[in-house]
Amino acid sequence: MIVDPVSTRYAGALFGLAQRTGVLDAVGRDVEQLGLQMASPGVRDFLCGSQASLAERRAGLDKLSADYHALTKNLLSLLLDKRREAVLVGLPDAFAQRRLQEQGAVEGEVAAARPLDAADLDALAASLGKLLGKQVLLKSRLAPDLLAGVQVTVDNRMLDTSVRGRLEGLRRKLLDAPLPASGA
Amino acid sequence: MDLRPAEVTSILEQEIASYGGASKMQSVGTVLSVGDGVARVYGLDDCMMNELLEFPGGVRGVALNLEEDNVGCVLLGDASKVREGDTVKSTGRIISVPTGPALLGRVVNALGDPLDGKGPLGAGADDLRPIEQPAPSVVERQPVTEPLQTGIKAIDAMIPIGRGQRELIIGDRQTGKSALLIDTILSQKTTGGGDPTNKDQVICIYVAMGQKQSTVVDIVRRLEEQGAMSYSIVVSASAMDEASMQYLAAYAGCAMGERFRDEGRHVVIMYDDLYKQALAYRQVMLLLRRPPGREAFPGDVFNLHSRLLERAAKLADNAPEINSRFAAGGGSLTALPVVETQEGDVAAYIPTNVISITDGQIFLEANLFNSGVRPAVNAGISVSRVGGAAQIPPMKKNAGSLRLDLAQFRELQAFAQFGSDLDSATQAKLTRGERLVEILKQGQYVPVPVAEQVMIIYAGTSGGLDDLPASRVAEFEQAFIEYVNERHPEVAEAIAGAAKDIPDETKAVLDQAITTVKAGMLAG
Repeated sequence: MIVDPVSTRYAGALFGLAQRTGVLDAVGRDVEQLGLQMASPGVRDFLCGSQASLAERRAGLDKLSADYHALTKNLLSLLLDKRREAVLVGLPDAFAQRRLQEQGAVEGEVAAARPLDAADLDALAASLGKLLGKQVLLKSRLAPDLLAGVQVTVDNRMLDTSVRGRLEGLRRKLLDAPLPASGA
Repeated sequence: MDLRPAEVTSILEQEIASYGGASKMQSVGTVLSVGDGVARVYGLDDCMMNELLEFPGGVRGVALNLEEDNVGCVLLGDASKVREGDTVKSTGRIISVPTGPALLGRVVNALGDPLDGKGPLGAGADDLRPIEQPAPSVVERQPVTEPLQTGIKAIDAMIPIGRGQRELIIGDRQTGKSALLIDTILSQKTTGGGDPTNKDQVICIYVAMGQKQSTVVDIVRRLEEQGAMSYSIVVSASAMDEASMQYLAAYAGCAMGERFRDEGRHVVIMYDDLYKQALAYRQVMLLLRRPPGREAFPGDVFNLHSRLLERAAKLADNAPEINSRFAAGGGSLTALPVVETQEGDVAAYIPTNVISITDGQIFLEANLFNSGVRPAVNAGISVSRVGGAAQIPPMKKNAGSLRLDLAQFRELQAFAQFGSDLDSATQAKLTRGERLVEILKQGQYVPVPVAEQVMIIYAGTSGGLDDLPASRVAEFEQAFIEYVNERHPEVAEAIAGAAKDIPDETKAVLDQAITTVKAGMLAG
């Protein structure tokens, strides 16, 4: 999940405010909803592009956020006033990350050569959690090109125990090996 | 290249033995953008400055910009293999190069990979050294006292270079800057017979940055022909290589030289040239979006050169006691950086920077070069700020009057152009000056041993050549040196061992030789 620092700051402000006023769940739902809406290229281009005028975009955003909580609506209007439309795209991810952080959790991804069952995933999450001191929420992905083993990525760190990773490591070692000079 | 199965087997053995072992968590990132040989990477949380990064497809990079949410890095290799979204792994290693005796006689690139097709270097993992190293501190150094003989009369006599000094060579294109460096390398053969295992042999490192590949090939061939490659290393980052390689080559060469310096050896390293290196650095830094300053160079372009040249040093004899990174004391690293000027403009940004960093400079002038004074050293504005202490005593004694005579000659020469009526004293000074200028001319690839330099300079400054036509001075020089070496071989030793001036009896021998050779020439 790539989150830019500006979105992180706006998400942090929204999160803090929502938490203090006790409307975290409502705002959280809104932001999730916003994420789904922004996923459509039409909506994204309309709001972040330069084809529509500011008034048109404001009207569009109002329509889109008709049933949102007042705090979320305020934030969206603020973003438009400050010409920070790009944050509309980054906000859902940044907000989700901030929520996870509050819970002391991190998201991660497991790529495995064969489908993992829930027990495997739980065991992996538990041992990783012990290593990182955080609760780890793992998503699994099927990657047959790993041949065997798993590749776990959590918080910009990777644990590669896959056969492909090991083969690559071996290949590098063989290439880097200090061979004696010819004729020696 | 022959591959040895035994080596491969031992690597496989290690791999199998450690297969079940715990893997380490590795820091990873995602490529945000890539282009023009630089990439921006998201993630890489504990990335270090100058850390080697691994991109997919075996491409490597160096982290140079550590920013709030991304890492800017230069790619050392084929950038077309890297795509947006690729996973980048950190290696935990600062960029390093192989060093040590295995490199002697080789041509390598900025990463220490051989370019000469002579097979692997045979340097082990222990020989790796980071290319950026702190320079020796004040207490780890000692003053420069030993001469580095370039074999060039004009330099050894008037702008002497000491071991551990930094002497800039500056001039327009085609004024003989690189030729001067090659002569210096050839001249080092006299220090240890060209045997790299001899402790006295000065090791030469030639770093070519942004040069034409044909130039580098010519230089390597010339060094090989003259048997000078055995004690030399050529680091080449030619104009075709990535800008990142061109700017890193200087540090790589320096790391290779430091290895020998720290083992108590004497090394001379030549950076050819720092102007092109600064251009390469500027390109990389602009692509990494560092703010441009004067002439669009980044703000730290002064530091780029000062931290490099500061690593040239004469180590104290007790350096190992002060810092355990030195294996032996007394070693030296002499730096001869080259800067190419445009239209003789020494007041441009990079030339003034490097002039202020170095301990003196040798100016080569296109006018002198074209009028046949080669090497085209302008003795008037060239200086060596520390080398005087490093001259052998008889040279110091004789070169003093040489400098003075030449300075007076230059002054009178301009004056004499206006009128023909000159008093005899002026006429004598002009006559002397013309002959001294002739003495300092020298062919390429023929370094002159210091004792012979002293002999011919003595002949000039003592007035022995004043009655010889200036056009015949070169002819005289050859005959004179031949005569002395043949009839009086003890003279060279007497000069080299003299504690002050040339001994009186040796002077008598030289005076007699001058008369005899001159008589022979004028008669014949």
